[in-house]
Amino acid sequence: MCLLAFSIHFVRLVRLGRPKDHSEPSGSTTRGIVYSFTSGMNPLKKESAFLHLPTYTAGIVLHLAIFMSLVVFMLLIAGVRPGPVASFILGGGAFAGTLAGMALLVKRMASRKLRLISNPDDYLSAFLVIAFLAFTGLVVFVPLLMPGYMLAAGILFLYMPLGKLKHVLYFFAARYHLGYFYGWRNVWPPPKA
Amino acid sequence: MEKLTKEQIADALKVFSPATDSKLLSHLNSCVRCGLCADSCLYYLTSGEEQHIPANKVDMVSSVYRRYATFLGKLTPALVNARELDHDNVKEMTDVLFGACTMCGRCVAHCSVGVDIEYIVRKGREMLARMGFVPPSLQATVDAALETGNNMAIPEEELLDTLEWMEEELRDELDDPDARIPVNQPGAAVLYTLNPREPKFFPLSIAAMAKIFYAAGESWTLSTQMYDVTNYAFFSGKPDQAKTIADRMLSEMDNMKAGKLVLAECGHGARANRWEAPNYVGTGFPETITSVELIADYLKQGRIRTDCELNPETYTLHDPCNLVRMGGICREQRYILENTVKRFVEMTPHGIDNYCCGGGGGQLAMGEYNERRLKIAEIKAEQIRKTGAGVVVAPCHNCVDQLTQINIAYKLNVHIKTIAEVVSDALVLP
Repeated sequence: MCLLAFSIHFVRLVRLGRPKDHSEPSGSTTRGIVYSFTSGMNPLKKESAFLHLPTYTAGIVLHLAIFMSLVVFMLLIAGVRPGPVASFILGGGAFAGTLAGMALLVKRMASRKLRLISNPDDYLSAFLVIAFLAFTGLVVFVPLLMPGYMLAAGILFLYMPLGKLKHVLYFFAARYHLGYFYGWRNVWPPPKA
Repeated sequence: MEKLTKEQIADALKVFSPATDSKLLSHLNSCVRCGLCADSCLYYLTSGEEQHIPANKVDMVSSVYRRYATFLGKLTPALVNARELDHDNVKEMTDVLFGACTMCGRCVAHCSVGVDIEYIVRKGREMLARMGFVPPSLQATVDAALETGNNMAIPEEELLDTLEWMEEELRDELDDPDARIPVNQPGAAVLYTLNPREPKFFPLSIAAMAKIFYAAGESWTLSTQMYDVTNYAFFSGKPDQAKTIADRMLSEMDNMKAGKLVLAECGHGARANRWEAPNYVGTGFPETITSVELIADYLKQGRIRTDCELNPETYTLHDPCNLVRMGGICREQRYILENTVKRFVEMTPHGIDNYCCGGGGGQLAMGEYNERRLKIAEIKAEQIRKTGAGVVVAPCHNCVDQLTQINIAYKLNVHIKTIAEVVSDALVLP
C-alpha cells in the first residue's frame, strides 16, 4: 500500500511535469539541478547547516539510519538475516539513528520556536520513525522481536504517504525544482569569486 | 473584517488548481518544519517573533492546501494542522505574507530541504488577492500604474519637463548643444525604461544614464507611453493585472520598433520584465537586458572609457535580491566597479547570499508596515557600517530609496548611488 500510494504521488508529479517557462534562459537547468543535489547541499554553504551543526549532524545520522533500516527491512522480508558483523554495524547504525531522532524530537518539544511551527503530525511522524529504528536495532540481534518490528514497520509504512513523511519523495522533487529554477536564471551554480 | 463568503474561498483555492506543473505541489509537500530557516530571515532575526519564521509562512499556505486537498487534511485536520480559510487566519496571513516578507528568497537557498519559500509566499499573496485582501497602499500603486501608465501617476507633461531639464543639464555638462535625451523615437537600437522614482525623486540618474549612452554613441529612446520598468502586480498577487502591465511593455516594444529593451536599475523591474513578463503574456519577449549588463558590455567592448581615479572614495555594493539571487546578475556590477572606482570592499555576506535592504517585496509601497521595514533594516545598516565605505552602490532604485532611509535612520553618513551614477562620474570623454 505504501509503495502504491507513493507511486500515485510520483506519477502525479511526473504527469504535471516541469515548469513551462516562456522566458529566455540565461543558464543551464541541468547544471542547476546537478548543483542542487551536490554543492547546493554542502553544509558549509547553508546557514541551516553551519549555524546549527548539532541539529544538522543529528539530521544526517537520522536519515542515513532510516535508509539503512529500509534496506534491512527488505533483507528481512526476503528472508536474509545479516551475519554477526553486519548485525553489529546495522544494529549500531539503527540505534544511532534512534538516538538522533530522539534528540531532534526532544528539541522540537523543548524549543518554543519549534513548538509554535509544529503540529501533531510532526510528533507522530517522529515517534513512528524512532520506533521503527529502535525495533530495527533490536531485531537484528533478537529475532524473537520480529512481530513487534513488523507492527512498527507496518504502521510507519501505512502512515508514510499521508503525513509529513511523504517528504521522502517530495524532497527530491523540491530540490529538482529549485535547481531547475536557479539553473534557468544562471543563479546556480554560483559564480566563482 | 467581514466573514468570508463561499465564493471568496472557492476563488482563493483556485491558486492550488489546476496545477500547470509539479512545482507548487512539490514545494507544498516538502517542508518538514525544522525551523532552521529562521536564522536566514531578516524579520525573524530582528523581531524574534515565531510568526516570522519562513517555515511558518509556508505553513500558512500549505495548511490551507492540506485542509482542502489532502486525505488527512479532510479526514483529521487537527492531526496535520489543516486550516480552513476564515477571517482570523486571513488577517494573520495578510499581516505576515504581505507585511513580514520581502520575498527576498534568502531563506530558500539556505533551506535544509530546498523549499521555494518565496514562491509559496507569492502563492499565498495570490490567494489573499483573490479574496480582496491586498494592502490598500500596495493596490493603490498597482492601480496608479494601470490607470496612468506609471506607478507614481506622473503626468506626461511633468515627465517631459523633467527630461528637458535633465537634457539641459547634460548639454551643460558635456558642453555639447547636440547632446539629447531622445523621446518617442521609433527604430532606436535601445528602448530604455525608467523607474518612476527617477523622474519623481532622482532625476540625476536619468542624466547619468544619458551621459553613458552619449559616451557609447548609442541609438536609444525613451517612450512616454510606457517607460515604467516596475510591475507591482507581481507583488500584489494579481497575475491578471501583472499581465496587463507586461502586455503594455510588449506592445510599446512593437510600436517603437526598438532593437532591444533595456531595463533601468530596478531589481524587481528586472525580474518582472526579464523573467516573469514572458510567462504573464504567455510568449517570449524580445531581447531584454538590464542596464547593468549593457554598461558592462560597453566597458568590455571599449565603447566607453573610465578612470577609477575619478571615484577615489571607498565603495561597497548592495546586491538587490531580485537582480542577483533571483536574476543571476552577479558578476557584471562587480566588473563595472572594478573599472570605475579606486577602492571597493564587499559586504559580508554578499552576492547571492546578501541580505535584502528591507524594501523589497512591495514593502516600500506599503505604508502600513513602515516601522517594521525600518526595523529589519538594522541588519543591512550593520553590514554597511562594517565595510567602512563612504559610498554604497545599489543597482536598484527601490533599494536606493530604502538605503537612503536607512542612511538617515541609522546615521550611516554614506552616499547612496546607482551604477549609472558611478559610471557617469568615472567617464572619460574623448
